[in-house]
Amino acid sequence: MSALFDQFVGEARELLDTAGASLLALERDPADRAAINELFRAFHTLKGATGLFDMAPFTRLVHAGEDALSALRDGRRRLDAELADRLFRALDQGARWVDALESDGTLPGDADETARRLSAGLTGTPDAAPAVAPVAGLEWVEALDDAARRAAGLIDAATLTALVYAPDPECFFTGDDPLALCRKIPDLRLLAIEPAEPLPLLAGLDPYRCLLRFHALSGAAATEVASVFRAVPDQVRIAPVTLRALPGEAGGPEDGLAGAILREQLRILTLPGDSLDRDGRRAAVARAVANILGAQGHAVDRAALDTACADAGALRRFLDAARPVAPPVEAAPVATPSGRRALLRIEPERVDQLMALIGELTVAKSQLPALARQAGADSLGQGLKAVSARFDALVGELQHAALRLRLLPLSRVFEPLPRLVRDTARRLDKTVELALGGGDTEADKDILDVLGEPLLHLVRNSLDHGIEPPDRRAAAGKPPSGVIRVHAFQEKDGVVVEVSDDGAGIDPAKMRAAAIRKGLLDAAAAEALGDDEAVRLVFAPGFSTASGVSDLSGRGVGMDAVRAAVERAGGRVEIASTPGEGTRIRLVLPLTLSITRVVVIEAAGELFGVPVTLVGGMRRVPCADIRAVKRAESVVLGDRVVPVVRLRRLLGFPDDPRERSAEYVLVADLGGTGVALVVDDVRERADVMLRPMHGVLRGLRGYSGTAALGDGRLLLVLDLRELL
Amino acid sequence: MPIRYEDGLARFEGLCAVDEALPLAEWLEATEAARVDLAACTELHTALLQLLLAARPALAAPPEDAFLRRWVAPLLAG
Repeated sequence: MSALFDQFVGEARELLDTAGASLLALERDPADRAAINELFRAFHTLKGATGLFDMAPFTRLVHAGEDALSALRDGRRRLDAELADRLFRALDQGARWVDALESDGTLPGDADETARRLSAGLTGTPDAAPAVAPVAGLEWVEALDDAARRAAGLIDAATLTALVYAPDPECFFTGDDPLALCRKIPDLRLLAIEPAEPLPLLAGLDPYRCLLRFHALSGAAATEVASVFRAVPDQVRIAPVTLRALPGEAGGPEDGLAGAILREQLRILTLPGDSLDRDGRRAAVARAVANILGAQGHAVDRAALDTACADAGALRRFLDAARPVAPPVEAAPVATPSGRRALLRIEPERVDQLMALIGELTVAKSQLPALARQAGADSLGQGLKAVSARFDALVGELQHAALRLRLLPLSRVFEPLPRLVRDTARRLDKTVELALGGGDTEADKDILDVLGEPLLHLVRNSLDHGIEPPDRRAAAGKPPSGVIRVHAFQEKDGVVVEVSDDGAGIDPAKMRAAAIRKGLLDAAAAEALGDDEAVRLVFAPGFSTASGVSDLSGRGVGMDAVRAAVERAGGRVEIASTPGEGTRIRLVLPLTLSITRVVVIEAAGELFGVPVTLVGGMRRVPCADIRAVKRAESVVLGDRVVPVVRLRRLLGFPDDPRERSAEYVLVADLGGTGVALVVDDVRERADVMLRPMHGVLRGLRGYSGTAALGDGRLLLVLDLRELL
Repeated sequence: MPIRYEDGLARFEGLCAVDEALPLAEWLEATEAARVDLAACTELHTALLQLLLAARPALAAPPEDAFLRRWVAPLLAG
């Protein structure tokens, strides 16, 4: 493509982003002249830019947007949430088109229809001709027959999120359970499970290959459904679809056997198979359809029919044109959150491979000093020493450079938040302002992947449980609009993302009561909890703070999952809350997953590592301060009684025979419950490349992996939570 | 034991995970007129579901778990 076209693609994206941000601002404050001018300018410039190329539908759509905005600017029209929705939809469509233009050089075939539908929405005329725009893979929604919809109670018109999930056949090995994943789909309305290919006889079936495929409809937003499948984005397709109301029981006379056969033909086209199979099926379907339509007295254009048999969507459109029946389904693809084009795309595996090689290099180089010593003080030894020092420096730089390859700005995980807040607040009838900060803070790509879902969840949780409805806020003397702040910054040990709100806060007394009621704690234990610890109970498994279960934040498994995800990545979660004033939650994550900073400790002559993020402190505790009740020991640190655990006993080593007056204690912070870990010795801190346990070691519990120290010694990194 | 085999009847209980797949496959192959009782099953791994779909044993008792009852049981019945 020409340089002009490339420039258009870049500029159009920028304009769409600007327009999206201005629209959010304008919706917050409809009197914001700057925002409306900005928005108008963006649409106007886009119109001019699209006019330079042959993309009339795009031009028409932005023109319609410009008209709507012009009316808005002159006060002829008011920005209500409905209009904002439509403008957002137009922007989303624009982003999809820019993606399509970039990859295919042309607008998709349905652009004309789509532009007409969206423009009609913007100019205020009722939705014109229905556009049926199937998303690849989601044709099954169109092929869904009325009986199946009735069985699922999907009789009325509805906008739902459709999903097709074709799990990787090998997914069981990576620990996936597709059915369990489908169970997590929020507001599941329909789930159809079918074999991706005909199931073989039992004897020939490999029980460890996934052979099933899943189709689902959900009442939740596409982003929420997508977040469930975050780990397997390549195996799912998700898009909103609009189901039309089913016709009454008198569904039309043609809807007898012929209708059923036609529907079956639609279904056949969605069946998997290689191209040969499909060609064969298409021919058979075309014959069957031609016969049925002929028998019903319709004229059949064979050539058009053959073309329409390419996929179920096309055939349905053909049938609708041939026979006057309302199509039940209208599908509109939603833009997959496609990232901005990077300068150079590198598959993460390649960077991982590079990191692994650097790890090997570190270990290999660590043998040099010993060789230098052996060589003695002559020129060879001197030379080796110098080379070794140079290697040290170079490998260090290499590691640093490789790590930087994987760093991305956190603004990426912030991207979905403004829309999430807008759409959710609208649904809950709350007014909420989202303040984002520190988006340019960088972190490893793996960390961003870990952060995404917990962050969405925390914000959703703040919206749902934190921020009060406007009337409650007014009664409490607060401004009617709530504020959620998401702020990222870098700390010594990693990246911190803070989510705070000025909502109702968490009442420790209620938390204690709830913990007792749910049987998590007995009354005495609950009473003994400090306020901070009581608030931390939100992260306890099976705890839900909301008295009523809301479909938004799920069933209280969320906060526990947030904590678990963050800790799995070697991070920790902190919470502080003041009733009536709000809640602040901090996610502290290491800079990268590949390099873990550990404290090296020794027990029974072996070296172990504990991730620094879990270490609250190290101290020498006089033996006399350790109080023992039978085998259970404890020590008072600060103003807390902390249980004492001896690492030697934990790992099955004999007790330390040496007499000592004081013990080395490492205070580990395991989400509210501190533990004093007695070790033989505390050594240096080290940045190590953590390798998961392989082979026979894999089943070993209590270790998160092995690592080689700079001098080549091997270290077992402890998974304290599992050990204790 | 999440799956208990009692001549001709397999009782699924609680969380039935992927490691049950091999024993279940063997049992289904070896058992004539096999029946399964899913009443107490709370989580059915996909690997187990596809075995049941391939072998089609009689459903002695449907699962009480709402999700399984709604979306999975109809596939196994009849």
